Amino acid sequence: MSPENYTFMFYGFTVAWLVIVIYVISIALREKKLRDELERVKRMVDEREGELKK
Amino acid sequence: MNFLRQAWAVAEKDLRSEVRSKETVNASLSFALVILLLFSFAFDPDAEQVRQISGGLLWLVFAFAGTLILNRSFARELVNDCLDALIASPASGAQLFFGKCLANYALLVAVECICLPIFAVFYNVRLPQRIALLFLVMLLGTWGITVIGTLFSAMTVNLRLRELMLPTLVYPMLIPALIGAIQLSTVLIGGEPLGADNQIWFRLLIAFDLIFTILALSLVEIVLVG
Amino acid sequence: MRLKIMLALLVLSGLLLTWNLYTMFLKVPDEANQGAIFRIIYFHVPAAITSFTGFFVAMFCGVGYLANKDLRLDAIAASITEVSLAFATITLITGSIWGRIIWGLWWTWDPRLTSYFVCWLMYVGYLMLRRAIDEPNTRARMSAVLSIFACIDIVIVWKSIEWFRTQHPGPVLSIRSGGGMAPGMEAPIWWNLLALLMLSASLILIRMRQEAMQREIDSLRRYAHAF
Repeated sequence: MSPENYTFMFYGFTVAWLVIVIYVISIALREKKLRDELERVKRMVDEREGELKK
Repeated sequence: MNFLRQAWAVAEKDLRSEVRSKETVNASLSFALVILLLFSFAFDPDAEQVRQISGGLLWLVFAFAGTLILNRSFARELVNDCLDALIASPASGAQLFFGKCLANYALLVAVECICLPIFAVFYNVRLPQRIALLFLVMLLGTWGITVIGTLFSAMTVNLRLRELMLPTLVYPMLIPALIGAIQLSTVLIGGEPLGADNQIWFRLLIAFDLIFTILALSLVEIVLVG
Repeated sequence: MRLKIMLALLVLSGLLLTWNLYTMFLKVPDEANQGAIFRIIYFHVPAAITSFTGFFVAMFCGVGYLANKDLRLDAIAASITEVSLAFATITLITGSIWGRIIWGLWWTWDPRLTSYFVCWLMYVGYLMLRRAIDEPNTRARMSAVLSIFACIDIVIVWKSIEWFRTQHPGPVLSIRSGGGMAPGMEAPIWWNLLALLMLSASLILIRMRQEAMQREIDSLRRYAHAF
Protein backbone atom coordinates (compact mmCIF):
# COMPACT_ATOMS: atom_id res chain seq x y z
CA MET A 1 0.00 0.00 0.00
CA SER A 2 1.10 3.55 -0.60
CA PRO A 3 3.32 5.15 2.04
CA GLU A 4 0.76 7.93 2.38
CA ASN A 5 -1.64 5.30 3.66
CA TYR A 6 0.67 4.28 6.50
CA THR A 7 1.58 7.88 7.35
CA PHE A 8 -2.03 8.87 7.75
CA MET A 9 -2.75 5.79 9.81
CA PHE A 10 -0.06 6.87 12.24
CA TYR A 11 -1.46 10.41 12.25
CA GLY A 12 -4.83 8.93 13.13
CA PHE A 13 -3.53 6.89 16.01
CA THR A 14 -1.39 9.77 17.24
CA VAL A 15 -4.37 12.09 17.27
CA ALA A 16 -6.50 9.61 19.21
CA TRP A 17 -3.84 9.15 21.89
CA LEU A 18 -3.03 12.86 21.94
CA VAL A 19 -6.62 13.87 22.65
CA ILE A 20 -6.84 11.37 25.50
CA VAL A 21 -3.52 12.54 26.97
CA ILE A 22 -4.45 16.23 26.70
CA TYR A 23 -7.77 15.54 28.38
CA VAL A 24 -6.15 13.58 31.22
CA ILE A 25 -3.61 16.39 31.74
CA SER A 26 -6.39 18.98 31.84
CA ILE A 27 -8.22 16.90 34.46
CA ALA A 28 -5.04 16.62 36.53
CA LEU A 29 -4.48 20.39 36.35
CA ARG A 30 -8.06 21.02 37.41
CA GLU A 31 -7.59 18.59 40.32
CA LYS A 32 -4.56 20.55 41.54
CA LYS A 33 -6.43 23.84 41.22
CA LEU A 34 -9.40 22.48 43.16
CA ARG A 35 -7.18 21.10 45.93
CA ASP A 36 -5.42 24.43 46.35
CA GLU A 37 -8.78 26.19 46.45
CA LEU A 38 -10.07 23.73 49.05
CA GLU A 39 -7.01 24.27 51.27
CA ARG A 40 -7.42 28.02 50.96
CA VAL A 41 -11.11 27.95 51.88
CA LYS A 42 -10.52 25.56 54.80
CA ARG A 43 -7.84 27.91 56.11
CA MET A 44 -10.24 30.84 55.75
CA VAL A 45 -12.93 28.99 57.72
CA ASP A 46 -10.45 28.09 60.48
CA GLU A 47 -9.30 31.70 60.72
CA ARG A 48 -12.84 32.98 60.98
CA GLU A 49 -13.72 30.38 63.59
CA GLY A 50 -10.59 31.34 65.53
CA GLU A 51 -11.57 35.01 65.44
CA LEU A 52 -15.05 34.18 66.64
CA LYS A 53 -13.76 32.20 69.61
CA LYS A 54 -11.66 35.13 70.84
CA MET B 1 -60.21 24.51 25.48
CA ASN B 2 -59.13 26.32 28.59
CA PHE B 3 -55.55 25.59 27.58
CA LEU B 4 -55.99 27.30 24.23
CA ARG B 5 -57.86 30.20 25.74
CA GLN B 6 -55.10 30.88 28.26
CA ALA B 7 -52.42 30.46 25.62
CA TRP B 8 -54.30 32.79 23.31
CA ALA B 9 -54.50 35.40 26.06
CA VAL B 10 -50.71 35.39 26.36
CA ALA B 11 -50.27 35.40 22.58
CA GLU B 12 -52.68 38.30 22.22
CA LYS B 13 -50.78 40.30 24.82
CA ASP B 14 -47.50 39.76 23.04
CA LEU B 15 -48.90 40.50 19.60
CA ARG B 16 -50.66 43.65 20.76
CA SER B 17 -47.52 44.91 22.44
CA GLU B 18 -45.56 44.18 19.29
CA VAL B 19 -48.08 45.83 16.98
CA ARG B 20 -47.95 48.97 19.09
CA SER B 21 -44.19 49.24 19.38
CA LYS B 22 -43.11 47.35 16.23
CA GLU B 23 -39.59 47.24 17.64
CA THR B 24 -38.80 43.56 17.15
CA VAL B 25 -40.35 43.17 13.71
CA ASN B 26 -38.56 46.26 12.43
CA ALA B 27 -35.22 45.09 13.74
CA SER B 28 -35.80 41.63 12.34
CA LEU B 29 -36.81 42.90 8.91
CA SER B 30 -33.87 45.28 8.68
CA PHE B 31 -31.52 42.49 9.65
CA ALA B 32 -33.04 40.23 7.00
CA LEU B 33 -32.53 42.89 4.34
CA VAL B 34 -28.93 43.40 5.40
CA ILE B 35 -28.25 39.67 5.18
CA LEU B 36 -29.79 39.51 1.70
CA LEU B 37 -27.53 42.37 0.70
CA LEU B 38 -24.42 40.76 2.18
CA PHE B 39 -25.10 37.47 0.47
CA SER B 40 -25.30 39.24 -2.86
CA PHE B 41 -21.70 40.41 -2.29
CA ALA B 42 -20.55 37.13 -0.81
CA PHE B 43 -21.71 35.01 -3.71
CA ASP B 44 -22.69 37.33 -6.57
CA PRO B 45 -24.67 34.49 -8.05
CA ASP B 46 -25.86 34.14 -11.62
CA ALA B 47 -29.26 32.69 -12.48
CA GLU B 48 -28.20 29.05 -12.31
CA GLN B 49 -26.35 29.50 -9.01
CA VAL B 50 -29.29 31.33 -7.52
CA ARG B 51 -31.54 28.40 -8.26
CA GLN B 52 -29.13 26.10 -6.46
CA ILE B 53 -28.66 28.23 -3.35
CA SER B 54 -32.14 29.74 -3.17
CA GLY B 55 -33.45 27.45 -0.44
CA GLY B 56 -30.34 27.78 1.68
CA LEU B 57 -30.21 31.54 1.32
CA LEU B 58 -33.85 31.94 2.20
CA TRP B 59 -33.73 29.76 5.30
CA LEU B 60 -30.50 31.28 6.58
CA VAL B 61 -32.16 34.68 6.37
CA PHE B 62 -35.23 33.32 8.17
CA ALA B 63 -33.16 31.63 10.87
CA PHE B 64 -30.95 34.67 11.59
CA ALA B 65 -33.82 37.14 11.54
CA GLY B 66 -35.92 34.77 13.61
CA THR B 67 -33.34 34.65 16.39
CA LEU B 68 -33.87 38.35 17.01
CA ILE B 69 -37.59 37.82 17.48
CA LEU B 70 -37.10 34.74 19.65
CA ASN B 71 -34.53 36.40 21.87
CA ARG B 72 -36.88 39.25 22.68
CA SER B 73 -39.68 36.84 23.42
CA PHE B 74 -38.83 36.19 27.06
CA ALA B 75 -36.31 38.98 27.46
CA ARG B 76 -39.04 41.60 27.17
CA GLU B 77 -40.67 40.14 30.30
CA LEU B 78 -37.64 40.75 32.50
CA VAL B 79 -38.45 44.43 32.96
CA ASN B 80 -40.49 45.16 36.09
CA ASP B 81 -40.48 41.46 37.04
CA CYS B 82 -43.17 40.70 34.48
CA LEU B 83 -41.79 37.19 34.02
CA ASP B 84 -42.24 36.38 37.71
CA ALA B 85 -45.79 37.72 37.52
CA LEU B 86 -46.56 35.56 34.49
CA ILE B 87 -45.12 32.46 36.14
CA ALA B 88 -47.10 33.15 39.32
CA SER B 89 -50.31 33.59 37.34
CA PRO B 90 -52.90 30.77 37.09
CA ALA B 91 -51.69 30.00 33.58
CA SER B 92 -49.44 26.94 33.63
CA GLY B 93 -45.94 27.03 32.18
CA ALA B 94 -47.12 25.11 29.14
CA GLN B 95 -49.91 27.60 28.46
CA LEU B 96 -47.54 30.53 28.83
CA PHE B 97 -45.03 28.84 26.55
CA PHE B 98 -47.62 27.93 23.91
CA GLY B 99 -48.97 31.45 23.91
CA LYS B 100 -45.49 32.85 23.36
CA CYS B 101 -44.93 30.28 20.60
CA LEU B 102 -48.09 31.38 18.83
CA ALA B 103 -47.10 35.03 19.02
CA ASN B 104 -43.54 34.37 17.84
CA TYR B 105 -44.87 32.16 15.05
CA ALA B 106 -47.18 34.88 13.79
CA LEU B 107 -44.39 37.46 13.84
CA LEU B 108 -41.90 35.15 12.18
CA VAL B 109 -44.30 34.12 9.42
CA ALA B 110 -45.12 37.79 8.83
CA VAL B 111 -41.43 38.64 8.47
CA GLU B 112 -40.94 35.69 6.11
CA CYS B 113 -43.90 36.68 3.95
CA ILE B 114 -42.35 40.11 3.50
CA CYS B 115 -38.87 38.67 2.87
CA LEU B 116 -39.94 36.20 0.20
CA PRO B 117 -41.00 38.69 -2.50
CA ILE B 118 -38.00 40.90 -1.67
CA PHE B 119 -35.75 37.90 -2.14
CA ALA B 120 -37.47 37.15 -5.46
CA VAL B 121 -36.85 40.71 -6.62
CA PHE B 122 -33.23 40.97 -5.46
CA TYR B 123 -32.16 37.66 -6.92
CA ASN B 124 -34.37 37.60 -10.00
CA VAL B 125 -36.16 34.46 -9.00
CA ARG B 126 -39.53 33.59 -10.48
CA LEU B 127 -41.66 32.42 -7.60
CA PRO B 128 -43.01 29.00 -8.49
CA GLN B 129 -46.49 27.92 -9.52
CA ARG B 130 -46.55 25.65 -6.51
CA ILE B 131 -46.31 28.55 -4.14
CA ALA B 132 -48.88 26.89 -1.87
CA LEU B 133 -46.43 24.03 -1.30
CA LEU B 134 -43.63 26.50 -0.69
CA PHE B 135 -45.84 28.23 1.83
CA LEU B 136 -46.54 24.89 3.51
CA VAL B 137 -42.80 24.25 3.81
CA MET B 138 -42.38 27.71 5.30
CA LEU B 139 -45.10 27.07 7.86
CA LEU B 140 -43.68 23.69 8.87
CA GLY B 141 -40.09 24.85 9.09
CA THR B 142 -40.99 28.03 10.94
CA TRP B 143 -42.92 26.13 13.60
CA GLY B 144 -39.81 24.03 14.31
CA ILE B 145 -37.71 27.18 14.66
CA THR B 146 -40.34 28.81 16.88
CA VAL B 147 -40.80 25.92 19.29
CA ILE B 148 -37.12 25.31 19.91
CA GLY B 149 -36.23 28.99 19.91
CA THR B 150 -38.94 29.92 22.39
CA LEU B 151 -37.96 27.13 24.78
CA PHE B 152 -34.30 28.10 24.69
CA SER B 153 -35.25 31.73 25.06
CA ALA B 154 -36.93 30.71 28.34
CA MET B 155 -33.81 28.78 29.31
CA THR B 156 -31.33 31.54 28.61
CA VAL B 157 -33.43 34.50 29.74
CA ASN B 158 -31.57 34.97 33.00
CA LEU B 159 -28.05 34.59 31.64
CA ARG B 160 -25.62 37.45 31.17
CA LEU B 161 -24.63 36.28 27.70
CA ARG B 162 -28.19 35.68 26.60
CA GLU B 163 -27.75 36.98 23.03
CA LEU B 164 -24.72 34.77 22.55
CA MET B 165 -26.02 31.60 24.17
CA LEU B 166 -29.35 31.46 22.36
CA PRO B 167 -27.96 31.11 18.82
CA THR B 168 -25.21 28.75 20.04
CA LEU B 169 -27.73 26.40 21.58
CA VAL B 170 -30.55 26.74 19.09
CA TYR B 171 -28.88 26.44 15.69
CA PRO B 172 -27.37 22.95 16.12
CA MET B 173 -30.69 21.69 17.36
CA LEU B 174 -32.54 23.22 14.42
CA ILE B 175 -30.29 21.75 11.76
CA PRO B 176 -32.44 18.72 10.85
CA ALA B 177 -35.45 20.96 10.30
CA LEU B 178 -33.38 23.53 8.41
CA ILE B 179 -31.91 20.85 6.15
CA GLY B 180 -35.38 19.55 5.31
CA ALA B 181 -36.80 23.00 4.71
CA ILE B 182 -33.82 24.06 2.61
CA GLN B 183 -33.94 20.97 0.40
CA LEU B 184 -37.66 21.31 -0.20
CA SER B 185 -37.46 25.04 -0.85
CA THR B 186 -34.61 24.66 -3.32
CA VAL B 187 -36.51 22.01 -5.24
CA LEU B 188 -39.75 24.00 -5.24
CA ILE B 189 -38.17 27.33 -6.21
CA GLY B 190 -36.16 25.62 -8.93
CA GLY B 191 -39.37 24.33 -10.43
CA GLU B 192 -38.28 20.71 -10.32
CA PRO B 193 -40.75 17.92 -9.56
CA LEU B 194 -41.01 16.68 -6.00
CA GLY B 195 -39.76 13.12 -6.17
CA ALA B 196 -40.05 10.35 -3.58
CA ASP B 197 -36.65 11.34 -2.15
CA ASN B 198 -37.92 14.76 -1.29
CA GLN B 199 -41.08 13.50 0.38
CA ILE B 200 -38.84 12.16 3.13
CA TRP B 201 -38.00 15.75 4.01
CA PHE B 202 -41.69 16.52 4.45
CA ARG B 203 -42.00 13.63 6.83
CA LEU B 204 -38.88 14.77 8.66
CA LEU B 205 -40.28 18.27 9.09
CA ILE B 206 -43.60 17.03 10.40
CA ALA B 207 -41.97 14.53 12.75
CA PHE B 208 -39.53 17.17 13.97
CA ASP B 209 -42.35 19.62 14.70
CA LEU B 210 -44.46 17.03 16.50
CA ILE B 211 -41.68 15.56 18.60
CA PHE B 212 -40.22 18.84 19.74
CA THR B 213 -43.59 20.48 20.40
CA ILE B 214 -44.59 17.65 22.71
CA LEU B 215 -41.15 17.59 24.35
CA ALA B 216 -41.11 21.34 24.85
CA LEU B 217 -44.63 21.46 26.29
CA SER B 218 -43.73 18.74 28.80
CA LEU B 219 -40.42 20.27 29.89
CA VAL B 220 -41.14 24.00 29.85
CA GLU B 221 -42.62 23.94 33.36
CA ILE B 222 -39.29 22.65 34.68
CA VAL B 223 -37.39 25.34 32.82
CA LEU B 224 -39.58 28.21 33.96
CA VAL B 225 -40.38 27.20 37.48
CA GLY B 226 -38.21 24.30 38.62
CA MET C 1 -11.94 2.24 48.06
CA ARG C 2 -13.11 4.46 45.23
CA LEU C 3 -9.53 5.42 44.54
CA LYS C 4 -8.56 1.76 44.20
CA ILE C 5 -11.35 1.16 41.69
CA MET C 6 -10.25 4.19 39.67
CA LEU C 7 -6.63 3.10 39.59
CA ALA C 8 -7.58 -0.48 38.77
CA LEU C 9 -9.75 0.67 35.85
CA LEU C 10 -7.03 2.97 34.54
CA VAL C 11 -4.37 0.29 34.69
CA LEU C 12 -6.62 -2.37 33.16
CA SER C 13 -7.69 -0.14 30.30
CA GLY C 14 -4.10 0.87 29.66
CA LEU C 15 -3.02 -2.78 29.51
CA LEU C 16 -5.91 -3.71 27.24
CA LEU C 17 -5.21 -0.84 24.87
CA THR C 18 -1.53 -1.80 24.66
CA TRP C 19 -2.34 -5.46 24.03
CA ASN C 20 -4.77 -4.38 21.35
CA LEU C 21 -2.07 -2.36 19.63
CA TYR C 22 -0.15 -5.60 19.22
CA THR C 23 -3.19 -7.35 17.75
CA MET C 24 -4.05 -4.46 15.52
CA PHE C 25 -0.65 -4.02 14.01
CA LEU C 26 0.86 -7.45 13.87
CA LYS C 27 -1.85 -10.04 13.72
CA VAL C 28 -4.56 -8.48 11.60
CA PRO C 29 -3.72 -8.27 7.90
CA ASP C 30 -4.27 -5.19 5.75
CA GLU C 31 -7.77 -4.94 4.39
CA ALA C 32 -8.01 -5.66 0.69
CA ASN C 33 -9.49 -2.39 -0.52
CA GLN C 34 -8.43 0.12 2.06
CA GLY C 35 -4.97 -0.89 3.13
CA ALA C 36 -3.37 0.06 6.39
CA ILE C 37 -5.59 3.04 7.09
CA PHE C 38 -8.56 0.81 7.87
CA ARG C 39 -7.01 0.12 11.30
CA ILE C 40 -8.28 3.52 12.36
CA ILE C 41 -11.67 1.85 12.63
CA TYR C 42 -10.34 0.20 15.81
CA PHE C 43 -10.29 3.59 17.51
CA HIS C 44 -12.94 5.39 15.52
CA VAL C 45 -15.84 3.01 16.09
CA PRO C 46 -15.23 2.26 19.80
CA ALA C 47 -14.82 5.98 20.50
CA ALA C 48 -18.09 6.70 18.69
CA ILE C 49 -19.94 3.97 20.60
CA THR C 50 -18.44 5.16 23.91
CA SER C 51 -19.48 8.74 23.28
CA PHE C 52 -23.03 7.79 22.28
CA THR C 53 -23.39 5.54 25.32
CA GLY C 54 -22.12 8.33 27.52
CA PHE C 55 -24.53 10.89 26.12
CA PHE C 56 -27.49 8.60 26.67
CA VAL C 57 -26.47 7.64 30.20
CA ALA C 58 -25.97 11.34 30.97
CA MET C 59 -29.51 12.02 29.78
CA PHE C 60 -30.87 9.39 32.16
CA CYS C 61 -28.86 10.90 35.00
CA GLY C 62 -30.35 14.27 34.09
CA VAL C 63 -33.84 12.80 34.19
CA GLY C 64 -32.93 11.23 37.54
CA TYR C 65 -31.91 14.64 38.83
CA LEU C 66 -35.24 16.11 37.72
CA ALA C 67 -37.01 13.34 39.61
CA ASN C 68 -34.93 13.37 42.81
CA LYS C 69 -33.28 16.78 42.90
CA ASP C 70 -30.06 15.03 43.98
CA LEU C 71 -27.13 17.16 42.87
CA ARG C 72 -24.85 14.15 42.74
CA LEU C 73 -26.82 12.88 39.74
CA ASP C 74 -26.21 16.19 38.06
CA ALA C 75 -22.49 15.85 38.81
CA ILE C 76 -22.49 12.38 37.24
CA ALA C 77 -24.29 13.69 34.16
CA ALA C 78 -21.83 16.56 33.72
CA SER C 79 -18.80 14.31 34.18
CA ILE C 80 -20.08 11.71 31.72
CA THR C 81 -20.89 14.37 29.14
CA GLU C 82 -17.46 15.94 29.38
CA VAL C 83 -15.64 12.63 28.96
CA SER C 84 -17.97 11.59 26.12
CA LEU C 85 -17.25 14.89 24.40
CA ALA C 86 -13.53 14.09 24.48
CA PHE C 87 -14.24 10.74 22.82
CA ALA C 88 -16.54 12.41 20.31
CA THR C 89 -13.66 14.69 19.37
CA ILE C 90 -11.47 11.64 18.81
CA THR C 91 -14.19 10.12 16.62
CA LEU C 92 -14.50 13.21 14.47
CA ILE C 93 -10.76 13.69 13.96
CA THR C 94 -9.93 10.03 13.30
CA GLY C 95 -12.90 9.81 10.95
CA SER C 96 -11.67 12.85 9.08
CA ILE C 97 -8.18 11.38 8.71
CA TRP C 98 -9.65 8.10 7.43
CA GLY C 99 -11.81 10.02 4.97
CA ARG C 100 -8.77 11.88 3.66
CA ILE C 101 -7.27 8.60 2.47
CA ILE C 102 -10.37 6.75 1.38
CA TRP C 103 -12.44 9.51 -0.18
CA GLY C 104 -9.67 12.04 -0.80
CA LEU C 105 -11.59 14.54 1.32
CA TRP C 106 -10.89 15.81 4.82
CA TRP C 107 -14.60 16.40 5.31
CA THR C 108 -17.86 15.82 3.50
CA TRP C 109 -21.28 17.06 4.45
CA ASP C 110 -23.20 13.83 4.18
CA PRO C 111 -26.05 13.38 6.71
CA ARG C 112 -24.32 11.06 9.17
CA LEU C 113 -21.10 13.04 9.52
CA THR C 114 -23.06 16.27 9.67
CA SER C 115 -25.40 14.93 12.33
CA TYR C 116 -22.50 13.71 14.43
CA PHE C 117 -20.84 17.12 14.18
CA VAL C 118 -24.15 18.72 15.16
CA CYS C 119 -24.30 16.41 18.18
CA TRP C 120 -20.76 17.47 19.11
CA LEU C 121 -21.74 21.15 18.82
CA MET C 122 -24.77 20.65 21.02
CA TYR C 123 -22.74 19.17 23.82
CA VAL C 124 -20.18 21.95 23.55
CA GLY C 125 -23.20 24.22 24.03
CA TYR C 126 -24.15 22.10 27.04
CA LEU C 127 -20.78 22.73 28.66
CA MET C 128 -21.00 26.44 27.81
CA LEU C 129 -24.45 26.62 29.39
CA ARG C 130 -23.15 24.97 32.56
CA ARG C 131 -20.36 27.50 32.77
CA ALA C 132 -22.78 30.40 32.29
CA ILE C 133 -25.08 29.48 35.20
CA ASP C 134 -23.72 29.94 38.71
CA GLU C 135 -26.56 28.67 40.86
CA PRO C 136 -26.15 24.88 41.19
CA ASN C 137 -29.82 23.91 41.17
CA THR C 138 -30.72 26.08 38.17
CA ARG C 139 -27.63 24.80 36.38
CA ALA C 140 -28.62 21.20 37.03
CA ARG C 141 -32.20 21.81 35.87
CA MET C 142 -31.24 23.53 32.62
CA SER C 143 -28.50 20.98 31.87
CA ALA C 144 -30.96 18.12 32.33
CA VAL C 145 -33.50 19.67 29.95
CA LEU C 146 -30.81 20.47 27.39
CA SER C 147 -29.41 16.94 27.49
CA ILE C 148 -32.91 15.49 26.90
CA PHE C 149 -33.27 17.68 23.80
CA ALA C 150 -29.79 16.83 22.61
CA CYS C 151 -30.39 13.09 22.97
CA ILE C 152 -33.50 13.23 20.82
CA ASP C 153 -31.29 14.74 18.17
CA ILE C 154 -28.89 11.80 18.50
CA VAL C 155 -31.84 9.55 17.64
CA ILE C 156 -32.28 11.53 14.44
CA VAL C 157 -28.59 10.93 13.78
CA TRP C 158 -29.08 7.20 14.18
CA LYS C 159 -32.16 7.20 12.00
CA SER C 160 -30.35 9.12 9.30
CA ILE C 161 -28.46 5.98 8.30
CA GLU C 162 -31.70 4.32 7.38
CA TRP C 163 -33.52 7.27 5.88
CA PHE C 164 -31.06 9.08 3.67
CA ARG C 165 -28.46 8.20 1.10
CA THR C 166 -25.05 8.54 2.55
CA GLN C 167 -21.41 8.29 1.60
CA HIS C 168 -20.51 6.80 4.96
CA PRO C 169 -19.83 3.06 4.68
CA GLY C 170 -22.83 1.02 5.67
CA PRO C 171 -23.00 -0.93 8.90
CA VAL C 172 -20.22 -3.51 9.00
CA LEU C 173 -20.49 -4.89 12.50
CA SER C 174 -21.82 -8.43 12.76
CA ILE C 175 -24.67 -7.52 15.11
CA ARG C 176 -26.39 -5.85 12.19
CA SER C 177 -27.61 -8.11 9.43
CA GLY C 178 -25.32 -8.53 6.46
CA GLY C 179 -22.14 -7.72 8.35
CA GLY C 180 -19.15 -7.30 6.10
CA MET C 181 -16.09 -7.98 8.20
CA ALA C 182 -14.19 -11.23 8.63
CA PRO C 183 -14.50 -12.49 12.25
CA GLY C 184 -10.78 -12.26 12.99
CA MET C 185 -10.73 -8.64 12.01
CA GLU C 186 -13.75 -7.65 14.01
CA ALA C 187 -12.63 -8.76 17.46
CA PRO C 188 -10.20 -5.89 18.16
CA ILE C 189 -13.08 -3.42 17.77
CA TRP C 190 -14.91 -5.00 20.68
CA TRP C 191 -11.76 -5.33 22.81
CA ASN C 192 -10.92 -1.69 22.16
CA LEU C 193 -14.48 -0.75 23.01
CA LEU C 194 -14.11 -2.49 26.36
CA ALA C 195 -10.83 -0.69 26.97
CA LEU C 196 -12.28 2.71 26.07
CA LEU C 197 -15.35 2.12 28.22
CA MET C 198 -13.12 1.29 31.18
CA LEU C 199 -10.95 4.31 30.48
CA SER C 200 -13.97 6.57 30.31
CA ALA C 201 -15.38 5.04 33.52
CA SER C 202 -12.17 5.84 35.39
CA LEU C 203 -12.05 9.38 33.96
CA ILE C 204 -15.69 9.88 34.93
CA LEU C 205 -14.98 8.74 38.48
CA ILE C 206 -12.10 11.20 38.71
CA ARG C 207 -14.30 14.02 37.39
CA MET C 208 -17.04 13.11 39.86
CA ARG C 209 -14.57 13.37 42.71
CA GLN C 210 -13.67 16.82 41.42
CA GLU C 211 -17.33 17.83 41.30
CA ALA C 212 -17.72 16.66 44.91
CA MET C 213 -14.67 18.75 45.85
CA GLN C 214 -16.24 21.74 44.11
CA ARG C 215 -19.45 21.23 46.07
CA GLU C 216 -17.44 21.07 49.29
CA ILE C 217 -15.65 24.31 48.41
CA ASP C 218 -18.97 26.01 47.66
CA SER C 219 -20.53 24.94 50.95
CA LEU C 220 -17.43 25.88 52.98
CA ARG C 221 -17.46 29.30 51.31
CA ARG C 222 -21.09 29.79 52.21
CA TYR C 223 -20.28 28.70 55.78
CA ALA C 224 -17.33 31.09 55.98
CA HIS C 225 -19.37 34.04 54.75
CA ALA C 226 -22.03 33.31 57.34
CA PHE C 227 -19.72 34.54 60.10
